[in-house]
Amino acid sequence: MTPELISSLKQFAPEGVIISGLVFLFIMDAILPSSRESRLPLFVVLFSCILGALVTIGVIPTEASSLFSGVIQSDGVTTFFRLLFFFSCAGGTLLAYETKVLDRDSLSEFSLLILCVTFGMCLMASATNVLMLYIGIETVSIISFVMAGLKRDDARSNEASLKYLIFGAVASAIMIYGFSLIYGVTGSLNYGDIAKALIEGGGEPKWAILLSMVMVYVGLAYKISAFPLHFWTPDVYEGAPTPVTAFFSIAPKAAGFGAAIRFFLCVLSTPGEAGVWTPMALGHGAWTQAIAVLSVLTMLVGNLSAIGQKNVKRILAYSSVAHVGYLLMGFVSANAFGVTAVLFYLVAYCLMNLGAFWVVGLVADRKKSEDLEAFKGVGWEDPFLGVTMAIFLFSLTGIPMFSGFVGKFLLFSNVVQTPGFLWLAVIGVLNSVVSLFYYANILKAMWLDKPDTVVEAPVSSVHRIALAVLAIPTMVLGLYFEPILKVTQSLVATFR
Amino acid sequence: MSGLASGLDWLTGLHGYLAVAASLFVLGAVAVISRKNAIGVLLGVELMLNAAGLNFVIFSKYRTAAIDGQIVALFIIFIAAAEAAVALAIILRFYRLKHSMDASEANLLRD
Repeated sequence: MTPELISSLKQFAPEGVIISGLVFLFIMDAILPSSRESRLPLFVVLFSCILGALVTIGVIPTEASSLFSGVIQSDGVTTFFRLLFFFSCAGGTLLAYETKVLDRDSLSEFSLLILCVTFGMCLMASATNVLMLYIGIETVSIISFVMAGLKRDDARSNEASLKYLIFGAVASAIMIYGFSLIYGVTGSLNYGDIAKALIEGGGEPKWAILLSMVMVYVGLAYKISAFPLHFWTPDVYEGAPTPVTAFFSIAPKAAGFGAAIRFFLCVLSTPGEAGVWTPMALGHGAWTQAIAVLSVLTMLVGNLSAIGQKNVKRILAYSSVAHVGYLLMGFVSANAFGVTAVLFYLVAYCLMNLGAFWVVGLVADRKKSEDLEAFKGVGWEDPFLGVTMAIFLFSLTGIPMFSGFVGKFLLFSNVVQTPGFLWLAVIGVLNSVVSLFYYANILKAMWLDKPDTVVEAPVSSVHRIALAVLAIPTMVLGLYFEPILKVTQSLVATFR
Repeated sequence: MSGLASGLDWLTGLHGYLAVAASLFVLGAVAVISRKNAIGVLLGVELMLNAAGLNFVIFSKYRTAAIDGQIVALFIIFIAAAEAAVALAIILRFYRLKHSMDASEANLLRD
């Protein structure tokens, strides 16, 4: 054990906790078959997440350091994403706790898989090596295919996993081919060396670099469901069991953004003074211009397709595509403020989107359907569900006083401060207005329409507490956001 | 005859191997687009993955003379195997439910 390995392992301890949880689940499943019928595996996942979060806080790095010979990097951004992943993993697990959509005996599988995905996401968000990024993405993808099809005898769940599989496999194959071209051009796998070789080569050969970056974008866009790789999102979100969908809609997306932040800023930019990067030219202009156009297309496609949908999970799926469009706006400035805006929006998005899917899951458990019809009058049947859903949807729209507004404000002001991108901010604001239409549609069904049949099914206190835990920060962060913003800023400050 | 041979000179060495990898990739992509059978699509993806692996080996031999490209190729093989295992399980389940391998039969979820 060299000193470098020991210090690397120390910084890698949170992932170590997750791996220990995984091994423990495997062993428990083997020697204690009765645990399959109980909820014990879910508690193991929750415990691992809490312990992992505590260990993460214990090893917060004060400066960026490369671990395991530069394969992954430990810095504030790594810490941020670890905490976000552990939180959303715990959220998805709690949502599965009393759900009726999953069989009891598939809960132990769910626990194993969600923990494994969490580990893969940690690798994705901290990778500074092309091979590590590929392994992280594939760990997340391959397990996600299984999770989408967890309801084995349900044709819709199976179809979701088949579609997820085919698009995912193609996207990752295209991405690894792009990586092979980068390797051929620069002769290296580490981000730092690739960036150095790209600068020394003067961006030649142009076509090979452009082609490889387009191919890498295809892989990343599939993970964050950005245009043009967004079309799997509604199908998979609709078909997958709701706890899985709630998890999918936040965590792997955040991991994709973690990978994108590192790739765009460490490979495709040259660092200037602290917190400022110069974007490299790619094709006819800097890559930030391409990202701006893709961001517009992503939010347009998401918002316009969401209008007129009948299934609430589908509406939320298209809305999540639109939110990826907003998030991509954070990259056009290529500076630390943009990264901070993206991270803050991810926090707000994580809370409100998990909450919205949570309510959908509870309503679907009660009415056996996720169509808008099923939401009729839910606000009067159970005002708690109605009020929390209203909070989440208002926040998703970006109405002032909710966390979504602060997040959007940061993203838009970041764009406005970047010369030449004012049009992007204008389109972003117009898109937020469009999104109000379909969010209001859900609220109208919940509060203004009369239910066809009244179903009496009380929501258990676990779900009430969890929804309150998600709804209260969604409101508080809309007014009192400085502490979280300060923490995010200080974490981003260590990012190089 | 000699004219033809000298015209193809550029195909020896690095460029020839790269052409093989690129055509493998294109063939895989064509299979993915044109095949209706889910297994056929999967085979196309395998071709694309192996094209990338081949690229890594070629570049590691001709460009860098380092071992890391060949290690990546090994990892690609491992990951492709894991993906194939999961994919076959999902497709088997699809066949049980639909009695068909036709990926276009997956039409329950749509706008």
